Amino acid sequence: MEATEKPTGAAEAAGLKLCQLGHEVNVPAGARIVSQGEDPEFFYVIQSGRVRVFRETADRIQTNLTELNAGAYFGEVALVTGQPRSASVEALEDATLIKVSKEEFDRLLDQNPQLARHIIQQLAGWLVAGDRRLETEVVHQVKLRQLSWFDYVLMLGLSLVLSLVVNIYNDNRIPLIHGWGDKNVIPEIALNQAEEMYQKKQAIFVDARKSAFYSQQHIKDATNLPVILFDLMYPMFQFMVEQEGKDKTLVVYGGTFSRRNDIDLARMLKHKGVKNVVVLKEYAAWAKVFPVQEKKAGEAGSLSLGFAGLLEWLPLSIFLFMFIPRIRRSPYLSVFCRVLLAAIFISFALSKIMRPAVFALNVVDYNLTPAWGVNLWSLALPWGELVVGLFLLLGIRTRAAATLIGAMNVIFIVGLVNAILHHMPINCGCVGEVGEPVNWWKVTKNTGMLLMCIQIFLYDRFMVLDRGGFILRDRKI
Amino acid sequence: MKTNFLKVTIVLGLIVVGLVLGGCGESRSQFAGTYKSEKPYVGKDYIDLDLQENGKGTWVLAGKTVEFTWVVNDGKIFIYTKPGAIIVVTPSEGGKMLSADMTGDWHPGCPPGNLCVIFTRVKDGG
Repeated sequence: MEATEKPTGAAEAAGLKLCQLGHEVNVPAGARIVSQGEDPEFFYVIQSGRVRVFRETADRIQTNLTELNAGAYFGEVALVTGQPRSASVEALEDATLIKVSKEEFDRLLDQNPQLARHIIQQLAGWLVAGDRRLETEVVHQVKLRQLSWFDYVLMLGLSLVLSLVVNIYNDNRIPLIHGWGDKNVIPEIALNQAEEMYQKKQAIFVDARKSAFYSQQHIKDATNLPVILFDLMYPMFQFMVEQEGKDKTLVVYGGTFSRRNDIDLARMLKHKGVKNVVVLKEYAAWAKVFPVQEKKAGEAGSLSLGFAGLLEWLPLSIFLFMFIPRIRRSPYLSVFCRVLLAAIFISFALSKIMRPAVFALNVVDYNLTPAWGVNLWSLALPWGELVVGLFLLLGIRTRAAATLIGAMNVIFIVGLVNAILHHMPINCGCVGEVGEPVNWWKVTKNTGMLLMCIQIFLYDRFMVLDRGGFILRDRKI
Repeated sequence: MKTNFLKVTIVLGLIVVGLVLGGCGESRSQFAGTYKSEKPYVGKDYIDLDLQENGKGTWVLAGKTVEFTWVVNDGKIFIYTKPGAIIVVTPSEGGKMLSADMTGDWHPGCPPGNLCVIFTRVKDGG
């Protein structure tokens, strides 16, 4: 730094006799008087006007150091040290300066110990201030990289509270734990017993799963009554039961770990007054015991995702950026990743946030969640996506947000891979209102998003409000 | 610095508002009305479908009424039932015919058989 921030008259106080020095120059507002890096030739005293002292990086990022008014001086540091100019000076308004050559300045210093002492004091002051600033910056940087449990509790807590509160007022609300407190116990039937009834044609077998699962594989001659379409299809089902034999036992079976399909359907049938309803005891064993009808699984039907679908392809670009070290580590890439992930997660969250029941049935399809966890997960996950997405977008606690989004992606990848390997005819459930196919492309897109989270975690330092406070751009020390 | 932060926050806020508004769906007025299934469902009875402009609707089959909500998105009608089913309905002939996919699996078209129900409009408005 090479400027003094002194009140008017500082130059005279330091022993300068302005009338005996250099020559007067007029500088218009906006003109650059001294440029950082150039060789020093003059020392300046401000007679009138105001100037700005600043540093500038190669990519034109400016840091304001100080503003000087009439009576202050600048340009002495480079003359004393013999180094190139350490900062630039620009006139903020029309200014009149006394321009003193290096030779005159040296002579002045030799003859004026008061000025020399003042400059030494000034330089020493800057050195101490510089050390303090360095320490502040180091502390800031260290804090910036710190992760805290508070960040996670904040984001997850906010998501949970919002999901529970909104669910109370949501017309499409769902119970926190499905079936909790339902005293309508459905009797179970052992496989061998059910098989005997099947052989003797004493029972009607009802497949409670979605039609895609039914089409893929079902007990031969079983009827499909998907639990989600119960209200709409029950009148026809009732008609069919009446035709087949009213007194026959209805054996309901499903195929998911959560038992949401079979037990739910059996309960609904009971509520409608059907008496002889039982569920198969071992929910997934029927395929090994009963004769089955099966069809090779095709890809589940899907609709276009529109804009969200286009957005979702962009994470694949990370695979390209990874091979360019300069870009790979760029904080600008972090901002790109943040905005993109936020847009994806927020738009996906909004599409399903008000209809948790729809999403819950998608969760059931993946067959990875126990019954008690399905609704909780379905309520909290979209809010988690929204809250964490907003934190990423606004640059708040981005490292913690990136780890949470990354964790979600890991869960999604596990679910998708499991569905693909087991040939499940399901839709992704990622976007509420349209079905998205579950395939290896989807896994790759999620892997791209996971890599983006890692990039943000490691290199995000631009427009960040973190534990060290807000920084527009990271400054290297 | 504070001004920059404010500007960034405003811009990002507008993005979020855009995303929220973008998810609100399209106008329902074109498809609001009363519809009847072309054939008796499973050979038994006709289905009456009422789509009201306020987003509510009813499905009446064999005297049983089921209420639902509906939205229009990307030219298709999405019917949401209370238990969580989504029925994708594809309008044709300017909304005079509706083809409802009863698989509940977001099938883009209608599979043959009873899983596809064709409705014809009997009354405009809802």
